[in-house]
Amino acid sequence: MSVTRVVHYVNQFFAGRGGEDAAGAGPDRVDGAVGPGRRLDQLLGDDFEVVATVHCGDDDASGRPEAIEEILALVQAEQPDLLVAGPAFTSGRYGLACARLAAAATAAGVAVVAAMHPDNPGVDEAKGAPVVASGAAAREMGPSLDRLAAAAKIVASGRALTADDGRVGRPRRVVSTADKPAAVRAVDLALARLRGDGNATEIPLPNFDQVTPAPPVDDLSSITLALVTEGGLVPEGNPDRLESARATRWMRYPIDGADALVSGDYQSVHGGFSTVYANADPHRIVPLDIVRELADAGTIGGVHDTYLVTTGNGTSVGNARRFGVEWAADLRRSGARAAILTAT
Amino acid sequence: MPEPAAGLSRAIHRVRHVAFGERTGYDGSTLTVDRDAAMARLASPALERIDLSWASPGEPVRIVKILDAVEPRTKGPGGGGIFPGFVGPARPQGRGITHVLQGVAVVAAGFLPRAQEAVVEMSGPVAELSPLGATHNLVVTFAKAPASSWEEVDLALRRGLLALAASLAEAALEVDPDTVEELPAQVPLAAGDLPRVGAVVNLQTQGAFKDVFVHGRSFAGSWPTLLDPNELDDGAVVSGQFGHPALKNPTFLHQNNPVVAALRARHDVDLRFAGVVICPEPVDQDSKAATAAVTARLCALAGFDAAVITKEGGGNADADIALKMDELDDLGIVAVGLFAEMPGPDGTGPSIVVPPSRATAMISTGNYDEPLVLPAVERALGGDSVHLVDLPATDELTLPTAVIYCSLSPLGWSSLRCEDAA
Repeated sequence: MSVTRVVHYVNQFFAGRGGEDAAGAGPDRVDGAVGPGRRLDQLLGDDFEVVATVHCGDDDASGRPEAIEEILALVQAEQPDLLVAGPAFTSGRYGLACARLAAAATAAGVAVVAAMHPDNPGVDEAKGAPVVASGAAAREMGPSLDRLAAAAKIVASGRALTADDGRVGRPRRVVSTADKPAAVRAVDLALARLRGDGNATEIPLPNFDQVTPAPPVDDLSSITLALVTEGGLVPEGNPDRLESARATRWMRYPIDGADALVSGDYQSVHGGFSTVYANADPHRIVPLDIVRELADAGTIGGVHDTYLVTTGNGTSVGNARRFGVEWAADLRRSGARAAILTAT
Repeated sequence: MPEPAAGLSRAIHRVRHVAFGERTGYDGSTLTVDRDAAMARLASPALERIDLSWASPGEPVRIVKILDAVEPRTKGPGGGGIFPGFVGPARPQGRGITHVLQGVAVVAAGFLPRAQEAVVEMSGPVAELSPLGATHNLVVTFAKAPASSWEEVDLALRRGLLALAASLAEAALEVDPDTVEELPAQVPLAAGDLPRVGAVVNLQTQGAFKDVFVHGRSFAGSWPTLLDPNELDDGAVVSGQFGHPALKNPTFLHQNNPVVAALRARHDVDLRFAGVVICPEPVDQDSKAATAAVTARLCALAGFDAAVITKEGGGNADADIALKMDELDDLGIVAVGLFAEMPGPDGTGPSIVVPPSRATAMISTGNYDEPLVLPAVERALGGDSVHLVDLPATDELTLPTAVIYCSLSPLGWSSLRCEDAA
């Protein structure tokens, strides 16, 4: 029996390339197993061989649209039988990269398994590709790799990974037509609950992670502040056609050199509120005027040269989480260390 | 012992064919509309031009930019009190006889600020996803008078649509109805062992073009209140809400509230219909929480054992259901919420924007982002293009379910739902 060729994907840190200072590094590869991949290689046994490790900086992998495609090309060049990504623990950018790589690999017909903590936002980005649970942090590397290796063997054998194997993520929701309208089923459900069926429901409750706010910035006078909004404020005419609802994208527009956002040069395309006041004074959405004053007074070190914008109106939680991770990566890469996010 | 107050009789007149003609009339099957007389009902200084067209089931027609839809009803000459606060005086209705032209809707279509693209197909696979896909629709299109504000246009359309709907139904006043449905006047509190189940109806109240009216008045800023269910049949609740097409509750569906219909159908069978509580959907969290708490108390006072809670609008309206479900649960009242899911086009994202934290009984009304293919049509009403995709309105279109009028009906009209993939 031939040896199963495995490619392992890790971030810059686990590839030994550096910490946040190297988070902007692009995709690259090295021969054989590196870092946690060595233990993975041992756990997989003699029938498997980690032939290469592909790695990429977290900011680049999660923030640059073409990065996943490039990483997958490096993986495919190894002609692997199996791709293993992570474990990413609770690291958002790393998890996103692993999950998107798993989704892209699945679409390309490459067998894959990724590992991350069940609360990692990446879980929602795997688009049905197998993700197995890991611990929350690298100190749980040992048991996380045990589970990942076991899952990798199952996936390599062509069997489906199940919740019993540690698989995480919701099953896909598929649309069907019920035999009764929702109103009738709602009355049925109320009566079922009254009869004592305490668990009856058509929608399993989602698990929502609680966001812990970042600690306050110690010294604002030394940092670059970014302006970020979900208020749909775009240049007049909406040149990039940002959606007014159910946004799937976000935009970046330059504000360097501008002291203010002139009424008439900007408009809000947000479909969820009356935009009259936003259009009359765009600073109600993106407060550039005040922030410039603070920068001139030395209260803040500087103003980031672009503002980031999407429309927060009927946006899916999955997209909203993705925007958050991508914004964080984008801002980190460009040097901003604090942001004001205006909500509407 | 005093006689119990008589309830409401709904005289149902089925309309099988429609036409324009010399005089408005109904012969027990065909509704003929005098176009000039209908235009006169709609005339307003705010409207420079008005056009009327029929769009009937099975025709290769698409209606775009749909605003409100109204079922023609009247209680007598001049409306007899129908649509209180608009056509009739602002008084409680829901008694006597109401004549219903079933199978017809008066529909406004065109641009208004904040209105989101809303589409109905009269034929093809998507027609059945909207209540208007099965009705003969008298489509009102319009042009704004230059000197008028959009708010004046909105008001003129609402008044005109309701007045026209009431006047059309007058044609049936002297015609024998197909059926008469008797709706009881009230449900005594202490009667029998059956569980008391009521409806909690959240009404979107987010300012101009996203507002709902009760007895002619915006419901924004109001506290929740009990409403005699029969008042819904007489048009006490009128929509002025043009966002979230799939999650919109037009006047047509308030007149035919599906949850109320389901509860009436089971009344004295396996439940007692305990009544309706209408609630605003405020825009800030404190008001949402306060409204939820007041709603739960009202439901308890009205003796609800269980409540079915509906909403209007997108993600932030999920909070209005979720908070009420938890508040009701805390008072020991079973709460069932109707939610449209938002797991993305491939169904892999999280479904609910704001889920309840203690109550867990939820009904799915489908996936907001599920793509649908609409075949090309011969004729489009309401506009020349479909705003969302910027394509000619008659083209073959791929659109999210979110754009199809009432397709994910928060009032439970639709049979779409999501399930876990096997």
